[in-house]
Amino acid sequence: MQPRSEMVHWFFATGFLLLGLILLSQAIVGEAVWARRRWRVYLWPSIAFALGLLMWPVMTFFTNSAIHMLAHGAWAQALMVAGAAELGLVHGKLHNRLWRLATPVGIFVSGVAFLVHEQNAWLFARSAFLHHLIGWTLVCGSLVPLGLVLRPRSTLFQSAFALLFVALAVMLYCDRDLAPVFGHLSPLAGPPHR
Amino acid sequence: MKRLVALAVVVVLALPAAASAHATLKSVYPAFTADLRQSPKVVRLQFDQAVQLPSVEVLDTHGLDHALPARTVGTRVVAGVRTLPTGDYTIRWHVLSADGHVVSGVWTFGVRMKALPPTEAFGATGPTRTEHVVRWLYFVALALVIGSLGFRLVCLRGLALPRRVEKRLYALATTGVVGVLELGILAFCLRCEDVLQLPFGRFLYGDLSPISQGTRFGRAFIVMTLAFALVAALVYLAWLTDRPALLVPALLLAVGFAAGLSLSGHDAVDPGSSRWSELADWVHLVAASLWIGGLVSLVVAVWLVEPSLGRTAFVRFSRLATMLIALVLAAGVYLSLVRLPHLRDLWTTGYGETLLVKVSLVALALAWGAVHHFLVRPRLPAAGAGFLTRVGRSLIGESAVAIGVLLLAAILTDSKPPPQPTSSSNRVAYAGALGSSSWRK
Repeated sequence: MQPRSEMVHWFFATGFLLLGLILLSQAIVGEAVWARRRWRVYLWPSIAFALGLLMWPVMTFFTNSAIHMLAHGAWAQALMVAGAAELGLVHGKLHNRLWRLATPVGIFVSGVAFLVHEQNAWLFARSAFLHHLIGWTLVCGSLVPLGLVLRPRSTLFQSAFALLFVALAVMLYCDRDLAPVFGHLSPLAGPPHR
Repeated sequence: MKRLVALAVVVVLALPAAASAHATLKSVYPAFTADLRQSPKVVRLQFDQAVQLPSVEVLDTHGLDHALPARTVGTRVVAGVRTLPTGDYTIRWHVLSADGHVVSGVWTFGVRMKALPPTEAFGATGPTRTEHVVRWLYFVALALVIGSLGFRLVCLRGLALPRRVEKRLYALATTGVVGVLELGILAFCLRCEDVLQLPFGRFLYGDLSPISQGTRFGRAFIVMTLAFALVAALVYLAWLTDRPALLVPALLLAVGFAAGLSLSGHDAVDPGSSRWSELADWVHLVAASLWIGGLVSLVVAVWLVEPSLGRTAFVRFSRLATMLIALVLAAGVYLSLVRLPHLRDLWTTGYGETLLVKVSLVALALAWGAVHHFLVRPRLPAAGAGFLTRVGRSLIGESAVAIGVLLLAAILTDSKPPPQPTSSSNRVAYAGALGSSSWRK
């Protein structure tokens, strides 16, 4: 009944790619043009919130280790909280600018969860390498939305924020050791797992 | 230098990976909670990658190990088994993963009888004090989410609510639903840790699938976690869009999926349980949650914030509470009759003694509620500020007693009721209620 692990990764990679492309579009056209249609400003926070909600089934159904379950729970909550805070801000329900910290904190927590749940060294395997890379990308990348809190109109920060999600999507697409979409890498890799 | 780093990254990404983190169990023989007609000759564990230094124990209910030394055959671990007499058996296994981590797990099977669930595997010590506290907090959180939503939709229906009252009600519901999610995860991990009997470091790599997918407790955890994640989303969207109508499905989901506790507790699996006992347990749980959570909401969100609105809310809640208490008492008395086969069990067993303390506290809360209903309510229309302040304090006191009742309910839920008169047919019926053995067949 369970979908294969790599399919779940690709699903979330697609979600993050969509998120990144939307943010990139916003950075390119500028906030004024982007906000001409009101629904657009809700787009990326809604997707983040929905991705968080969809992470719960992954957390509960893939329980082949406790650390795996806890890490997915952390990502589910980080995504939901970040999306909810941004939605509250754009909708005018939240006014305190400190709520903007929810996104950098969420990204930081997600990065830490990646690093904690991957117990192998960087060069143990490709997935280990990518888990470390994703973890550190998110930990360091959490500075970008933090920069956006201080300079919300900075095109540089907006673009970097968008590219953070695009990079995350690419890494998630590559995260499985066997990814048929990239071709069968090696017979030594064994059957698909994790 | 930069080119070298870039080249190294490309090479690492391009290299084939022979293994990826710790090994994952793919299938087992005997199947999880299998009921075998004859003793198995071997125990087999199939992993997704090669493992080393396997250890497999086949323990009977006395802790005697019937397994022969285990060996690895590729990605498979095989251990011979001595001829097993009729009974329940627990398999505990440990292997060294290719990444150097020890991966562990446990499952159960029966020979010529239904197996016990892994939560009752040999070596599991049962709920600890920490689990009692976590379950108590879980009940408080459940009462907060169900009670605040019910109070908002029933007792405050049609009233123009000041912003501060709305804000507090949403805060209570959010606290409740987040608590249910977080404490549910914590309770599940604590139970799994007890079943696996591993120190924390190794527990992190323990396989929880047999418990999450093969027991009523685990399935209740999955279903309730998913349902309450949805409840959280609905409560949030109701607040964001100012549409209290979204709280209706949130309440229905919370009330409906609270049944997960009833379907995985004593009243679903113990001897004497039936559909009626499951239903009674659910009614007991939901009515108590609505009563206690509603009471807390009345105090925290209305009485302390908007005393003028408090009078109307008090009168409406008083009516609702009467019905809820009737349901709590009716279901509670029925469940006591089911769980305690003899009256003397009340003072001769630990379960009965805890139940007596709980009943005493419930009686205190009821007496307190009766004072509010019969003495305070008629005087409210003409009451002055001083009287209202005293009523507020009194409501806080009643809420504290009610939350104390939840602590005893948590201890009772984790305790074993006195044994029913046993027979072989009961034993089979009991085991049959514990869950299917479809896991990874």
